[in-house]
Amino acid sequence: MNAILNEYKEIILERARELGLSEYEIYYMRGDSTSVETLEHEVNAFSSSTGGGISFRCIRNGKMGYASTELFERDELRGLVDRASENALFIESEDKCFIFGGSESYADVGENKIDTPDASLMRESALGLQERTYAESELVSYGTQSNTVAFSTEICLANSHGLELYNKIGLSAAVVSAVLKMGEEASDAYEYACGSTMEELGDLPKRVVDEAMSKFGAKGVKTGNYNVVFSGKMARSLLSTFSSVFSAKNAQMGLSLLAGKEGEVIAAECITICDDPAHDGFSNKTAFDGEGVATYKKNVVEKGVLKTLLYDLTTAEKAGKTSTGNGQRGSYTSSVSIAPYCFSIEGGDISEEMLLSLAGDGIYVTELKGLHAGADAVTGDFSVESAGYLIENGKLGGAIKSFTVSGNFFELIKNVSALSDKVDFGLPSSYKVFGAPSMLIKGLSVAGE
Amino acid sequence: MLGIAVSSGADFAEIYQEYTKTQNLHFLDGKIDNISDNRISGVGIRAFCGTKTVYACTSDVSEAGLVDCARSVAGAVGDALRSELEKIILTPTSHKDIHPVMIDPFAKEMKAKADLLRAACVSAKEYADRISQVSGSLGCVERTILIANTEGLFTTDDHTRVRMAVSAVASAAGENQSGFFGPGAGMGLEFFENNDPHDIGRRAAAQAITNLDASYCPAGQMPVAIENGFGGVIFHEACGHSLEATSVATGCSQMAGKLGERIANEKVTAIDDGTIPNAWGSVNIDDEGNKTQKNVLIENGILKSYMIDRLGSRRMGMEMTGNSRRQSYEFEPTSRMTNTYIANGPDKNEDIIASIENGLYAKSMGGGSVNPLTGAFNFAVSEGYMIRNGKICEPVRGASLIGTGSQILMDIDMVGENLARGQGMCGSSSGSVPTDVGQPLIRVSSITVGGRS
Repeated sequence: MNAILNEYKEIILERARELGLSEYEIYYMRGDSTSVETLEHEVNAFSSSTGGGISFRCIRNGKMGYASTELFERDELRGLVDRASENALFIESEDKCFIFGGSESYADVGENKIDTPDASLMRESALGLQERTYAESELVSYGTQSNTVAFSTEICLANSHGLELYNKIGLSAAVVSAVLKMGEEASDAYEYACGSTMEELGDLPKRVVDEAMSKFGAKGVKTGNYNVVFSGKMARSLLSTFSSVFSAKNAQMGLSLLAGKEGEVIAAECITICDDPAHDGFSNKTAFDGEGVATYKKNVVEKGVLKTLLYDLTTAEKAGKTSTGNGQRGSYTSSVSIAPYCFSIEGGDISEEMLLSLAGDGIYVTELKGLHAGADAVTGDFSVESAGYLIENGKLGGAIKSFTVSGNFFELIKNVSALSDKVDFGLPSSYKVFGAPSMLIKGLSVAGE
Repeated sequence: MLGIAVSSGADFAEIYQEYTKTQNLHFLDGKIDNISDNRISGVGIRAFCGTKTVYACTSDVSEAGLVDCARSVAGAVGDALRSELEKIILTPTSHKDIHPVMIDPFAKEMKAKADLLRAACVSAKEYADRISQVSGSLGCVERTILIANTEGLFTTDDHTRVRMAVSAVASAAGENQSGFFGPGAGMGLEFFENNDPHDIGRRAAAQAITNLDASYCPAGQMPVAIENGFGGVIFHEACGHSLEATSVATGCSQMAGKLGERIANEKVTAIDDGTIPNAWGSVNIDDEGNKTQKNVLIENGILKSYMIDRLGSRRMGMEMTGNSRRQSYEFEPTSRMTNTYIANGPDKNEDIIASIENGLYAKSMGGGSVNPLTGAFNFAVSEGYMIRNGKICEPVRGASLIGTGSQILMDIDMVGENLARGQGMCGSSSGSVPTDVGQPLIRVSSITVGGRS
């Protein structure tokens, strides 16, 4: 990659010099991805992509301008510098901006172990998963798919202070999406798992088919207030949806109700939330953020107390603090924006079974649909279509669906009664991944029949 | 490249090249705080073997990069690459541009764009003292595409769209509520000659204040009147996705196999029309090079048509309908909606409200989602009011509406007369694409309202 990048850098730096720019940064990403899809008993689609893009940002008159391109021709790269330089002139925000000289030291996070399965292994695994899925039950029908995907991305940051940082992240995963039909009724379920071989992925079909089977005959529930247990998967979906409330930028802009609350109790004592840029379970670790600041592991919430919001250089300067290394660049098309890394709620000390028995009678939520629309991080309110199972006398009962669970995230985290001991992690997306254990909240509003 | 792509036995291949400019001005806390300015550029090559597909895309548009891309497609199709390439004759076709652009947003000076956005955001902030924060964006996209395929098609298209979105936050007593308005169209900056930025800002602010003063919506089943414009998202989620070949062709739609059957109340006629001049969801040609069409999906309650792309057409044995779309060259296209709406009906708007003894008036809707297989859908109410004894009463907040597509289509029992469309971004397997949703005021006789009990 370096030879190609150096070619682009030369063209860009030449133009930057011509324009008299002295503070600037290049952010380059290049990646490959492959995916295999199956339908019935064959591979029905195969796709691959290769490519990348480059972003240039510069400070002019104290303001930061950005531009990016995926076309690497000479005129386009020179135009890239011109556009960023021009855009800087129209920024009105008075926040201080930074092209960073580098941290004193960077954590040794170790190399990301990236699986690069070849196309034939990916085909084999996808077909293997599909066969196992069909073998699980006669009810498995047309529309069922088992897909494998693999990608890797190289990232390079280089700036006018001579800072040069490099990282490579990647992922291999599979998703089994099963459609089951029993007479007129259809039921479906899907789940992802990391890995590329049948050894790593083999139990995915059973879990998915079992889940789809359990949803047949799902009934409605009566409107009312219930004790609700969110499965780990759903608890992390809620955490992910509301993670932006921990951004110092949102707090400073009046877009997060956590503004001014560092050091205060904002959640139940059982809640500890950790942000870890180098979690060993994932291959998207990074020692530096999108501004080149060293990242580190920290508790954002500890035993219910908000220890720190997440900061980048600009918000830290405004608050008289130091950056927490959370100024990420999601892509070369986006500017620096605050985001967490591996963001997870620590598990509690009771088993899932104990958690259900604590709930007594209530609802176990295993699906939350439409979180992108039915939840608002600015207000904390959510009202979301849900599905799951009844909890009767402390044990899982029949499947239920077509109800909504409504509440407010800030109230919810204060009212968590208990957490199970097993944390469920999702699939990484760029540098982010979320995790949470099952959570019991008493007295949530449910609308149904 | 097409020859290479089919050299190992594929029966069809297509090249899609794209160069897209995007620019987004962002306003926050009284100032322009960010300008994003991107060029998307690349090629996607697709090959078909019956109903199996191979797709490869790259941002390397040099000849070597394209040859590699085509070769990788052929290689994935089969092992025996024929050394002599098939001769493919391309016939350039052109089409009328029914979405002309008067003021090119990329030729206009930045100051003018900044002024438009500032006007909207300042109007929102000044609407009321309790408006504590306003953010806004002005986005412009200019997309140039080239499509060629082994059937001889060779065509290009230029498409421009603009959109302004304002989010206002109203605060009091440690609580926040929000309001939003985001209109746009498939045209240039002339859009703002008939859509005053000041009004856009004020509308977002007014909604935030209404929500701040609102109490929580009660939970339960009740009749709901859904206003026109973005209210059309109910049809988009409840039915639209279930009529895309994307799910119909693989047996994953509640509406599969139902052509000619009654699937909705007879007052419901629903249309997907990609030809509406300068509409947000319109394009001259779809992303497989076919002209877009006006497709009547449901006529007086009877299912008349699905939305079908090339792969869907092969799977279902039906004609393509000009609905093949993708977010960019990085995605394989699939059937998607364009501008989808319920047509005006026989009922008077005032009768719709008057008919509800105890229910909800959903004046403004947020987004939602659907599972086309089961038909289970949801969407958020962003501004709502209780209806009592046929009159609109106090505002309520925090509600979402859920149901099953097949059921709700039957339960739309009154359809009014003030058709309007609203703009949104629709997400699916081929990425995020701009779509309009629309309808007149309608009544749903009974729907589950998710509120606080």
